[in-house]
Amino acid sequence: MGSFDWRVIQNNLPFLMQGLLTTFQLALVGISGGFLLGILVGMARLSSIKVIYYPATAFVNVTRSLPLILVIFWFYFLVPVLLGRSIGDFSSACVAFVAFEAAYFAEIVRAGIQSVSTGQMQAAYSTGFDYRLTMRYIIVPQALRNMQPSLLTQSVIAFQDTSLAYVIGLNEFLHSASIVDAREMRSVELYTLVGVVYFLICFEMSMLAKRLEAKKGHGQ
Amino acid sequence: MLSYHFNWSIIWTEPYGRWMLQGIWVTIKLGIICWFIALILGIIIGTFRVAPFRPLRMFGAIYTEVFRDIPPLVQLLFWYFAVPSILPKSIGMWFYRLSNADFWIVVLALSIYTSSRIAEHIRAGIKSISQDLFHAALSTGFTHFQTYRYIIIPYAVRIMMPPLTAECLTTFKNTSLAMTVGVLETTFMSRQIEAYTFHGIEATTAASVVYMGITLTVVILLGLIEKRLAVPGLITRSEGGR
Amino acid sequence: MIKIKNISKWYGDFMVLNNINETIERGQVVVICGPSGSGKSTMLKCLNGLEKFQQGDIIVDGTSLKDPATDLIKLRQKMGMVFQRFELYPHLKVIDNITIAPVKVKKIPIRDAIQRGIELLERVGIPEQADKYPGNLSGGQQQRVAIARALAMDPEIMLFDEPTSALDPEMIKEVLEVMTDLARSGMTMIVVTHEMGFAREVANEIIFMDEGRIIERGTDKTFFTSPKTERAKDFLNKILL
Repeated sequence: MGSFDWRVIQNNLPFLMQGLLTTFQLALVGISGGFLLGILVGMARLSSIKVIYYPATAFVNVTRSLPLILVIFWFYFLVPVLLGRSIGDFSSACVAFVAFEAAYFAEIVRAGIQSVSTGQMQAAYSTGFDYRLTMRYIIVPQALRNMQPSLLTQSVIAFQDTSLAYVIGLNEFLHSASIVDAREMRSVELYTLVGVVYFLICFEMSMLAKRLEAKKGHGQ
Repeated sequence: MLSYHFNWSIIWTEPYGRWMLQGIWVTIKLGIICWFIALILGIIIGTFRVAPFRPLRMFGAIYTEVFRDIPPLVQLLFWYFAVPSILPKSIGMWFYRLSNADFWIVVLALSIYTSSRIAEHIRAGIKSISQDLFHAALSTGFTHFQTYRYIIIPYAVRIMMPPLTAECLTTFKNTSLAMTVGVLETTFMSRQIEAYTFHGIEATTAASVVYMGITLTVVILLGLIEKRLAVPGLITRSEGGR
Repeated sequence: MIKIKNISKWYGDFMVLNNINETIERGQVVVICGPSGSGKSTMLKCLNGLEKFQQGDIIVDGTSLKDPATDLIKLRQKMGMVFQRFELYPHLKVIDNITIAPVKVKKIPIRDAIQRGIELLERVGIPEQADKYPGNLSGGQQQRVAIARALAMDPEIMLFDEPTSALDPEMIKEVLEVMTDLARSGMTMIVVTHEMGFAREVANEIIFMDEGRIIERGTDKTFFTSPKTERAKDFLNKILL
């Protein structure tokens, strides 16, 4: 084994950067789409209407018991069958991610809303607020504040999860690095690069989450 | 579903049924081995992070942050592709001649990853225990080590059952990453069956059922343990509100 | 004004409220006392529909609570409630805590609501706290804001659920002063409390509850000096020292 040769990264930088960009795009879609869908599903999990509660609960429990790889495969092979045509790597990955992360965001939303004490709800009701007003001005604002650290942590996890699109050959960051590796046989430099980049990004985000958590602890 | 006709029997037809069973067995083995190694490692590292000895704390902190902030798949591929090329030739050769090299590399990578996450849960759990309990133990003559061993860690473990249960589930789900390096576990087998029969939906459904079954089993088993260990009056699940 | 008729509430075998009967006239101040778990808070929360009951009926100013057609939300606008844990909205400033219901429910213009809010804060003695957040106030101040918040909806009846139980001793006085002032101004008040000094001073009627039943009733003069039942005597001995 020779010494580290960082030129392999230099030479292939555009390609690798394109992969990183794809990773960011996938993460953005997955996190925002997953969060929005997660809000709907999370609130459905709090509903007392059975036709809303049971499907939402089933969705969350099933999705959370499956590995992401399997969910990716599901959408990758199932969607073309349903639609009669293929929708491409990136789109399949996006759909899979949004569905998968939504199940996790839903639980965070549900816990966030339940973390607001029932006393708050009673106080609002006692002044003549109805359900809608109570949720909108009293419960949800507090729930969102309580959820912030968990939301951020889940986003970090979602960002890491994008690396799994590797299995369907999507050219996100990890896969791009593996392609360069296949050609140049410089595994150490390349996989170290991938590790370091992910580390820097996720470390920053989790530090941010810790700071948010600490701020919350000091009262409002 | 226009041009797809289902054939559910392929799941138990030879040889596909046998493949699935082999895959399930590998998944279970992987999950259990990784979980136990990660648990032990994680408890050690987690304790390091709250030890009154700065170098230990730093080591624990670095270990936890590094292995938590890099995706498990990246870590796996690093161990699988990158590390062998920096090992001295003799060790590398010996390792590759092992018939189960792939399996054990996955065990290594997944255990280290999971242990960093467990270490974080341990740290949070220990931190949540009031200092007074610690002082109470010390005041009866326990050393630091004894306090951790007989008082703090057992109590912390009980508090940490819920997140640890979640981590166990995650571990079993992460065993699916092994398919990327050719380990013949459940997800790999479902892909294999799909490749041979083109019945992807049945194969993937079978794999899904397997994982749901594993999840259910783990939740029930660990739930029973949680009940037996439960501290009366301690609310471990935060369901919010009253 | 409020007629409570044969109210009963149970969870499985456990009777929280057992055949409660009571009439409360306009302008009266009624104090409900009793040991923990006697059902006092539950009884109070039944009055504005926050708790449901299985049997009996409560008629507030002619409106029956049992009637499913009753608009509970409209009813609650006529009744204000003050909670043991204050329950101020932590994410809103003090003045916003007070004005949010008048603005959103009664559609009062924000400027008028704020003016009224300041007046109420003056009445409870802390107008300078208007722009602070609840987290920055002491317990006594928070509870006074809570009273102002309840008064902002111009209720005809005020319900108090152990308003001083969560306060440090030195802050109880300031809250009781506000409540006494309110009572003297003619407000109909139903107060669940252990503060017997307050009861002696302003209560027209004192109700002693235990195990979901009304054990004894009296006026401030009769109840404290000559309680009729054993349980009431026992209770008074324990808390009056």
